[in-house]
Amino acid sequence: MSDDDLADLVERALDYRGFVTVRRRDGSELVGFVYDRGPDHVELFDQTASQRVRLPITEIDNVVLTGDDAAARAQAIWERRRGALEPRETSAWGDWEDRPTLLVVALPRELRGIGRVLGAKPRGMAVTGRLGDHRAVALAVGMGGGSAQAIAEHAPRLVISCGFSGALDPWLRPGDVVLASSVSDEHGESIAVAEPDLRIARQALDGWQRVVEGEIVCTTHVAATRDEKRVLARRGRLAVDLESWAAARAARDAKIPWLGLRVVLDPIEGDLPEFTRERHAGYVIPALRHALAGSRGALDLARLALRSRIALRSLERALSRLAPVIASLHPMERAS
Amino acid sequence: MGIPISEMLAVARHVVKQRLARRERFAFVLMLEPLFRCNLSCTGCGKIQYPVSLLKKQLSVAECLSAADECGAPIVSIAGGEPLLHPEITDIVDGLVEQRRFIYLCTNALLLEQKLDEFEPDKHLTFSVHMDGPRGDHDLSVCREGVYDKAVAAIGEALRRGFRVTTNTTLFEGANPERMRRFFDDMMELGVEGMMISPGYSYVKAPDQEHFLRRERSHRLFSALLEGSHRAWRFNQSPLFLQFLMGKRDFECTPWGNPTYNIFGWQRPCYLLQDGYAKTFRELLEETDWSKYGHASGNPRCQDCMVHCGFEPTAVNATFGSARAMFATISSRITGRL
Repeated sequence: MSDDDLADLVERALDYRGFVTVRRRDGSELVGFVYDRGPDHVELFDQTASQRVRLPITEIDNVVLTGDDAAARAQAIWERRRGALEPRETSAWGDWEDRPTLLVVALPRELRGIGRVLGAKPRGMAVTGRLGDHRAVALAVGMGGGSAQAIAEHAPRLVISCGFSGALDPWLRPGDVVLASSVSDEHGESIAVAEPDLRIARQALDGWQRVVEGEIVCTTHVAATRDEKRVLARRGRLAVDLESWAAARAARDAKIPWLGLRVVLDPIEGDLPEFTRERHAGYVIPALRHALAGSRGALDLARLALRSRIALRSLERALSRLAPVIASLHPMERAS
Repeated sequence: MGIPISEMLAVARHVVKQRLARRERFAFVLMLEPLFRCNLSCTGCGKIQYPVSLLKKQLSVAECLSAADECGAPIVSIAGGEPLLHPEITDIVDGLVEQRRFIYLCTNALLLEQKLDEFEPDKHLTFSVHMDGPRGDHDLSVCREGVYDKAVAAIGEALRRGFRVTTNTTLFEGANPERMRRFFDDMMELGVEGMMISPGYSYVKAPDQEHFLRRERSHRLFSALLEGSHRAWRFNQSPLFLQFLMGKRDFECTPWGNPTYNIFGWQRPCYLLQDGYAKTFRELLEETDWSKYGHASGNPRCQDCMVHCGFEPTAVNATFGSARAMFATISSRITGRL
């Protein structure tokens, strides 16, 4: 092939909106997207668009336009639908998905901690930020519920039920993290976390001594006393909360991957103050009432505040460790 | 007035500084394309036709900030693709605001309402919403029903929250001046800070090749549109550029004035033509044969082009080039007459 013919081929490759195959003089081939050329070289992105390659012209034997021409395809689509518009209901993301990771918590206090991990401040009962490189929304849905509605509204790619829990294992202390392998309700029905997702989360949290993996049981009332927790305790069951079952069930029904990540607030042999049993719009006034009610009240409150601080720090740390692997749990994909 | 004083002063300072440094070529606006993927497939767009792996690729925050730093333009127009699809768009915006640059985030607004929480209102940040005309015209131009209504709702919400919002409108063959004038009234009534208009560039890769405006037709259309323009209309553009569109002035293109940076590098020679890429802004300025481009060069690809990214820098340069042009600009800003 003459130099002029080769130069002409290179110009056509530069103008082409698809991959080309470059055959080298040594017989090897390279597939890529040509985006620049000079008098003595050609520059390409490889097929994954992760590597730039600079090829001397003297090494090139032939260039063939082998890939799908994106411009021609756009033209064909446009010709086909000329005049007809895409319907109003088409996703605002077009062909691209950026569904968020949804973190479901119960209380505004938990939301503030998660906000620090997402790099954003709560606005009302929500925080929007990023977990790793991905968009994340955290919602305080109140004790026990709201997950199904949150999942329907945000159409997330991954649901993480997280927040405080009570320990059901005597070895667990405030701040210990429980990675749920499954979640069960009070009647014994159980939902397991998908093994590939669990494996990724396990690896991300690996090496941190304060993480354990096992079952979380979900109740419809706060297990506040040691007696209530002892009744729920059994082998392999590590913690109790109010929200994980609803979140796991809603995620399962919506066919969305989910994780349960709880942090121990109260050990099995510890009792929570009475006011934590009931649902309140805010907990400041009930807590103050409790503190003023008797000599032990203030001490209970101080202990609870310290434990919740320790627990929140642990949760933040655990989520920060998960952040880099979020992409593997829900990679961005083109919908079509 | 469509442009705030602080922004005009930043541009003026920049021009004076470059002139004092005797720089012949410098940037006014960085056209930053952090990604090519888009949630629309507009009929006149030639920007997004790439293989999927390239559409998935995007500039990092560091690359965006370093490009802005390298070219030094006081204004950054974040285009694409749809910038709101970039997962780190808020970090990019925050970083550019920290550099004290004025940012125009160009968006079709489909995702604007749900993303507003992630941004803080700031005088350096403007959402420049793509609006190609009244409801029917706009939806036809972006090939999807309901986009005009969504954009109007998002503009309203952004304004309510204290964000700066402008519109950008590309005009094609067949645009109806009367309808467009009513559309300008509607946008002003909606409360946008200013409007930007430009004829569409005839991208070779765009699906619809029939409706790009030729130069003479552009003059006629913009004259019909802007002659005796409504006092209430505020354009976020140099009045001299608008006069150029109307055929009242003749300008040559300043392709280096609005340099483009994207995943491939610094695009040669301009936002619209792709004759390869430079690795640095300096290489773009020094190693591009600029004589091959512009109306006077005879380059057929430049003959009908009147797009703002090439001629607005010329208009700004002209404003600072003579007392007469400066007077014309100021008087037009005050009286609203073109």
